[in-house]
Amino acid sequence: MNCRSEVLEVSVEGRQVDEAMLALLHTILLHRSTGKFHYKKEGTYSIGTVGTQDIDCDYIDFSFVRVSSDELDRVIRKAVGEFKDAMGNGTDGMGQISLEFYQKKKSRWPFSDECIPWEVWSIKVNVVNLANEQERQICREKVGEKLGEKVINIVEVINQHEYLPKMPTQSEVDNVFDTSLKDVQPYLYKITFQITDTLGTSVSTTMRRLIKDTLAL
Amino acid sequence: MAAHFDTEYQRLEASYSDSPPGEENLLVHVPDGNKSPWHHIENLDLFFQRVYNLHQKNGFTCMLLGEVFELVQLLFVVGFTVFLANCVDYDILFANKFVNHTDSSKVTLPDAFLPVDVCSASIRDNVTVMFVLMISGVFWLHRLIKFIYNVCCYWEIRSFYTNALKMSMAELPYFTWQEVQARIVEIQKEHQICIHKKELTELDIYHRILRFKNYMVAMVNKSLLPVRFRPPLLGECVFYTRGLKYNFELILFWGPGSLFESEWSLKPQYKRGGNRLELADKLASRILWIGIANLLLCPVVLVWQILYAFFSYTEVIKREPGSLGARCWSLYGRCYLRHFNELDHELMSRLSKGYKASSRYMNCFLSSLLTVVAKNVAFFAGSLLAVLIALTIYDEDVLAVEHVLSSITLLGVCITVCRSFIPDKHLVYCPEQLLRLILAHIHYMPDHWQGNAHRYETRDQFSQLFQYKAVFILEELTSPLVTPFILIFSLRRKSLEIIDFFRNFTVEVVGVGDTCSFAQMDIRQHGHPAWMSEGKTEASIYQQAEDGKTELSLMHFALTNPQWQPPTETTHFISQLKERVQRETTGDGHTLTSLSEPRSLIANFLAGPPSLASLHLGRDGSLANHGPVGVSDGASALRSLSVSSMRGSCSSTHRSAGHASSASRAMAGSSTDAQTASSGSSVWEGQLTSLVLSEYASTEMSIHALYIHELRKQQSGGELSRHTWHRQDSDDSSDSVTEEGGSGGGNTNPRKPIPRSHTFPISTPISTPGPIPSSNSGPNPDRGTTPGQEVAPLQSNSQRHYGGNTDSVGPGGRVVRSERVPIGGWAEEGHGGRHPDTVPEERSEDDMPPNIHKVT
Repeated sequence: MNCRSEVLEVSVEGRQVDEAMLALLHTILLHRSTGKFHYKKEGTYSIGTVGTQDIDCDYIDFSFVRVSSDELDRVIRKAVGEFKDAMGNGTDGMGQISLEFYQKKKSRWPFSDECIPWEVWSIKVNVVNLANEQERQICREKVGEKLGEKVINIVEVINQHEYLPKMPTQSEVDNVFDTSLKDVQPYLYKITFQITDTLGTSVSTTMRRLIKDTLAL
Repeated sequence: MAAHFDTEYQRLEASYSDSPPGEENLLVHVPDGNKSPWHHIENLDLFFQRVYNLHQKNGFTCMLLGEVFELVQLLFVVGFTVFLANCVDYDILFANKFVNHTDSSKVTLPDAFLPVDVCSASIRDNVTVMFVLMISGVFWLHRLIKFIYNVCCYWEIRSFYTNALKMSMAELPYFTWQEVQARIVEIQKEHQICIHKKELTELDIYHRILRFKNYMVAMVNKSLLPVRFRPPLLGECVFYTRGLKYNFELILFWGPGSLFESEWSLKPQYKRGGNRLELADKLASRILWIGIANLLLCPVVLVWQILYAFFSYTEVIKREPGSLGARCWSLYGRCYLRHFNELDHELMSRLSKGYKASSRYMNCFLSSLLTVVAKNVAFFAGSLLAVLIALTIYDEDVLAVEHVLSSITLLGVCITVCRSFIPDKHLVYCPEQLLRLILAHIHYMPDHWQGNAHRYETRDQFSQLFQYKAVFILEELTSPLVTPFILIFSLRRKSLEIIDFFRNFTVEVVGVGDTCSFAQMDIRQHGHPAWMSEGKTEASIYQQAEDGKTELSLMHFALTNPQWQPPTETTHFISQLKERVQRETTGDGHTLTSLSEPRSLIANFLAGPPSLASLHLGRDGSLANHGPVGVSDGASALRSLSVSSMRGSCSSTHRSAGHASSASRAMAGSSTDAQTASSGSSVWEGQLTSLVLSEYASTEMSIHALYIHELRKQQSGGELSRHTWHRQDSDDSSDSVTEEGGSGGGNTNPRKPIPRSHTFPISTPISTPGPIPSSNSGPNPDRGTTPGQEVAPLQSNSQRHYGGNTDSVGPGGRVVRSERVPIGGWAEEGHGGRHPDTVPEERSEDDMPPNIHKVT
């Protein structure tokens, strides 16, 4: 696929899942968001401001920075909540949540718009069960350290000057940025998750591929 | 970087004055917008394939027209067949029944047609016809939808050509692919088609276009695909048809549940060795189902094949009856002879150049018995024909007599067929030399052909690559019947090997995705010590490409893409080889000092085999005529090569182009003299196109191929045990794997799949790094085996190896690789101590003896 993909792996305790996920997703989104664009005449624009906010975790010795946008936070929390529900509570489990940044490409009439991803972050979560309080305490610290490392990884990756979509003109801004939020404007993104590694892809994607393949020359 | 940002963020001075108060301090940006829609294309594989297709089909209009006609043709085939079967009153046509006409007694064509209502009724009543009609209707609709879809897609590509590459469709046929490619590489810098890299290389593009073809070539090279059979009466034969190929690709690459999850990546479970047996089971059952589906669909496909063959070939046979005798390169041959990373047009031009020599070679073997018979049949048929024609000339009423016209036609066909069995009186054939000429173009042939060119076995084996067109059509027709059985009985047994193959020979290259590791053309990993890469290769026998494919492919790619910059080690190999070839030609045989160096190879293979050369040069007038010309031209071509080296000054390239052309002409066996060649070069003087360069490169490649083969022959002293033409090994090995049960991934297999030639490195299962193969360059002391050339591992971390290796994804997704000997490979490597590296966690799982599984 013509997109970068980065994989992060963490193993946490059951109740730490959502905080760990939030920390990582928010960290990525912090670097992939801009202020709102205000277009002016002559095809120029100015960028609004974005505030940041420190968040302390309850179950992990860790605090992270996120964009201070409650709307964005709500969206992410919802996705993470769904992920956690799907994982089930308290049991061992594997799961993967991916944050995919994409770009829309307008197509001509018979086809729908294409969404072309340019960067995918996959976070693999391994949920462990801990026996006693002492282990939990150790885990609390260790996960905090781990997350700190991951955040640095993320920043390192983002710091490399790699491909980013070009800044759009006013008419195209919806193809690159998610403009639905009032106070912040992240790149278009999509959060998907997957519980355990189910072999094979779903039926619909297989069918789609089959049709596409038969049509191809 | 700073400059980059300067363009994105610009401060507009003008806005100070007229901006509303409070906004003075705002930074104002100018969007660069997406002016080109070709930044960051989602499916680059498909994109490059389409770009290539459009180029090969000479532009959009040609392609469109071609496809429209194909659709019409399809409709016509079905319609006309039905019409002929149901709507023609043959009694009237054959004049068995009389028509009552009022005005004249002449029978007209419309008289023979049945009335529409009768006709449609008979069609409706006939179940088979309805069945055929329905199937073809569905097929046609599918084609129509595909056509419309394609038009939309290729319209995009067309605008890519015109807007991004700045090539109009009208002039597209006059650009070579290399030029198109150069422009793509150029615009990557601007548009960033591929987001992983700032710059694309030629190899990236080739990898993407040829991803699956490279796999197929490698699988044929390693004798993995079941295409050779030994049916009871026919002896050894190759059966590889388009239908079979389609099924292979369906199973492996793109069908539902195939090994690849998308065009560019293998499914992750196939990259791990852990559950290979389970996966092999799954694959086997899938093959079974597809085989059964083939069996069920076989009547449909069969009907289709017959109809198609009938309509596309009858016309040709009528026009030139000799064409059925004409030969073509078989599908298997195309796979066997293809280099890694060789595009269709490159292969075709190479094979077409070899066509003439090949057919002349095959004609050497006309059976004298047949010739005698054919001569006499031709005599009798000829006299009858002469009489009939003479009578017709005298009075044309003879034609009206029943069957006279048909007998004239038949006799004509008969004479043409007979004539093809009668050799030309005035030609002198020398099979050995012809085979050399063929080799110059096809670049691959089993070693034991050399020196045995006059043998019938060699001819038979060559005919597997170069078959009669009639045989080709026949195979295509029987394909629907045979394919299901091949799938069910042969391919299914290989499922474990296939799983192993894909795991061991897939690398992930950043910016390209999963590709066949052979296609990387890395001498170190897949080189074969007997083919010039001695001391440089670290490959186990399982990993070596057969027939020197890695080495020759590398040379070929480097020569066809002079702009390509290979990794340092590879560059070293190429330059070393070039240098040696050059030394061979410039120093004319006598100045060579070293004993081991094969003496004046180029002279040898241009003039013929050593034994014959002296004889011919002295006595045989015709051969002596073009022999020396060939030598001198070839030598001068090579000499000028050093000057120009593809990028040299214009004048030298012109000169060399002239020489190259004459050399190739001399090699093609025609007795062209230097005069015509030089006059030909003056035509080219005006335009230095890459066409000339590519022609030149192909000549150079021929010389390299010949050199490598010759060297190999001399090295092994003619005794080659490993390269038996039919490498039964893989069949045997699969048997032995399944039969031997759990006797361990043992070291010594009594039925060893590959006999080694004696130049072959003895790779004992050593546990301490001892004197390993590289010191084994016995007969060649001046071989490039100085310790300095044992280049340090160049494996960049841009590649991940599956199978043998485990990847642990480090911070930020970078890869740490630890190498291991592949599992599921051929047994004698043992658990090779060559990489006594860290033991990865998966190992216990991986190390299951590969033989305990029996796929049924």
